[in-house]
Amino acid sequence: MANEAESFRLAFREEARELLVELESCLLELNEKGGDGELVARVFRALHTIKGSGAMFGFDALAAFTHKLENAFDEVRQGRLGMTPQLVDLTLAALDQIRAMVEQEAGEAAADPARCAAILEGVSALTGEAHRGNAPAAAEDSDSGARDRGGATAASKAGGFESGATAQVWRILFTPGPDLMRNGADPLLLLRELGQMGRLTAEASMEGIPPLRKLEPERCYVRWKLRLETTAGAKVSLDAIRDVFIFVEDACTLEIECEGTAGRTAEAGPEAEAKTDAGLKQPAGDVSARALEEKRKNPGRREGDRENAGSLRVPAARLDQLVDLVGELVTVQARLTALAARSEDAAVLAVGEEIERLTSALRENSMTLRMVPVRATFERFRRLVHDLGRDLGKNVELTIEGAETELDKTVIDQLGDPLMHLIRNSMDHGVETPEVRAGAGKGRGATIHLAARHAGASVLIEVSDDGAGIDREAVRARAIERGLACEGAALTDSEIFGFIFQPGFSTAREVTDLSGRGVGMDVVRQRVESLRGTIEVSSRRGQGTTVTLRLPLTLAIIDGLLVTVGDGSYVLPLSSTLECIELTREDIAAANGKHVAYVRGEMVPYVRLRETFGVRSEAPGREQIMVVENDGGRCGLVVDRVLGDCQTVIRNLGSLYRHVQSVSGATILGDGTVALILDPQRLVQEAMRTKAQEGRGRVSPPC
Amino acid sequence: MSVRFDRSEAPGTIRLEGDIDVGCAAELKALLEEAMAPRDGRQRGARIAVATATGMDVTAVQLLWAAEREAQAAGMVLALEGPVPEMLRTALREAGFQRFPLAPHAQDDADDGAQRGSQG
Repeated sequence: MANEAESFRLAFREEARELLVELESCLLELNEKGGDGELVARVFRALHTIKGSGAMFGFDALAAFTHKLENAFDEVRQGRLGMTPQLVDLTLAALDQIRAMVEQEAGEAAADPARCAAILEGVSALTGEAHRGNAPAAAEDSDSGARDRGGATAASKAGGFESGATAQVWRILFTPGPDLMRNGADPLLLLRELGQMGRLTAEASMEGIPPLRKLEPERCYVRWKLRLETTAGAKVSLDAIRDVFIFVEDACTLEIECEGTAGRTAEAGPEAEAKTDAGLKQPAGDVSARALEEKRKNPGRREGDRENAGSLRVPAARLDQLVDLVGELVTVQARLTALAARSEDAAVLAVGEEIERLTSALRENSMTLRMVPVRATFERFRRLVHDLGRDLGKNVELTIEGAETELDKTVIDQLGDPLMHLIRNSMDHGVETPEVRAGAGKGRGATIHLAARHAGASVLIEVSDDGAGIDREAVRARAIERGLACEGAALTDSEIFGFIFQPGFSTAREVTDLSGRGVGMDVVRQRVESLRGTIEVSSRRGQGTTVTLRLPLTLAIIDGLLVTVGDGSYVLPLSSTLECIELTREDIAAANGKHVAYVRGEMVPYVRLRETFGVRSEAPGREQIMVVENDGGRCGLVVDRVLGDCQTVIRNLGSLYRHVQSVSGATILGDGTVALILDPQRLVQEAMRTKAQEGRGRVSPPC
Repeated sequence: MSVRFDRSEAPGTIRLEGDIDVGCAAELKALLEEAMAPRDGRQRGARIAVATATGMDVTAVQLLWAAEREAQAAGMVLALEGPVPEMLRTALREAGFQRFPLAPHAQDDADDGAQRGSQG
């Protein structure tokens, strides 16, 4: 039972983290766009969910704190409080405290009570002003708590109804589903919450209760007819009522109808004036009809959470376990296939092929399970850009593209830090102040663009800004000064910009538009390399900088082509291989010693892996060129033989081999031998670098 | 929360303490069935004590309701022993249950009446 409770708390933490990211993103959008109704409703719902789930799983302080914020956004939703930058800032600060409360037991720093109190005071001041300005009825209530929902109830009970204020009347038919209680919900608590919105009259219907022996003890058989009367001062929307049932909407049947206004009409508003005998014809009745129609069309759907309908939350560790097991299965299956091939028994071969097909399908499916969109990772940088923009006095907008691009969760988990450093650097040193931008003829507001897209078996993540760009000459001079390059060496832009990723490159001295470009960049390089990724930088002076991270889609299992070079077996990722063509001794002789082949009239340079790996044995008469695509175009990798395709479980080579750039891992073959997994991009880059160095002298290390 | 069956005196008393919720629903059902099962050819029954109950969810209300209905049909005694805490009574009334499931035991009622009479 204790473990179950803990697993619920863990699930709550996961959910709260996601909601906090969504909240931040909505708030920052609200800050830019002003009071967008849908955004306000999303903020309210997210706060309501955090509060409700928090209370359910014992995060009482969190629930109480969030409740106050929720009330403020209810005011905004009802149009009684404006969506001001001040409220956005207070709520953002509150989110930090909520995050601390969520993570508290997970070993993170606890929330700051003084800060929490100051935030709530600020929020109260705002809501108080709103009430003084727009809601005289509520302002008359001296109880400060009257501003929250409970207070509104007190006002309606103590003042509104007794003094004859016009009320809305809602009729609600609430039929809990069979699993409602088992799911941890309690209908009586829901009624209590509903009762805080106005005067609630409940009628429990007991007809459905079966004889004792047939009664399932944990099932709810009771259904309720409810009548909710609200005052004009505490007008309740359909959304607000549905929000009470937000956690159980999938596990119950809910019919909500508004009868319109009831009671005395002396102080009636527009809706009351429109009252007819058939109450449902009123505007509020239209709301009800719409709600019922929507319910009919989307039975069981939860408002505000439509995109999650039909999804299942599973701990990441379980998926990792599954992928590990599939990895083991793939290795064993490879052994089985090798044994079956040797047995020459048709039946065994057929079973082997069938298992291979199933394993392949299972692998693809299990890998898909771990793919998650980069949206959450990207969205959290809105806050960073907002906060840094405020601190640095820079007006910067973060634009996001390709947020739906999916990447293996393991890769995404490690992507946050490098992106944070890149964005910080763009904010600190790339983007200019509004004055400088205006002086340079640019718009005062700068843009940082975060984009993701697929490129073969990789994902490209781009961080670009329209700032001042990198001072190429300053970087070059600094690289020479530090002994990273020779005086007079002909360096490409890519090579020069690559220096900024050297450890501590810019920390020794301030250089205009350069200082700080190296701070944290070493971390970026290390992290990206540990993910078997690469970094490219392009920059134009005065126009901006783009840093492109090329990351593998997955770190676990890939489709590969098994090749041999000399006595060794190697795996080339299938996704980066375009085609395979023969290379004869005659072809080599015809090229006059140059490493190029003609493929359908097109010249394709190639790298002979025999030479790269220093294999001295005699090459076969016919070698094979594996044509791969890299950033610079098509290129060939020459191997002795191609043995066929294979599913490859990637194993890390360990830290000893981390400097071997052209090898991205190892795998165990069906016969138990080990094959290295080659990185075609790196192999080609290294070959080009070596060629270039042979042509013009060494660049690095120091001359 | 706890559900106990005190069998020391016939017909026995089921004592509900603390918050009686879905966590003890299965246990309460089993005890009610035990209390109402015929023994030696005779219908039994039980008293239900809720004086120390602080809350009750709908699963408990349903069970008591179903048990009371069957007890009445079978002519057996299934009644409250002692008072119902006012907080509990109010909570259930606000939740739309017109009355608390189970009536006070006749003897308790008589005692209560006598006490009220002596106070008056």
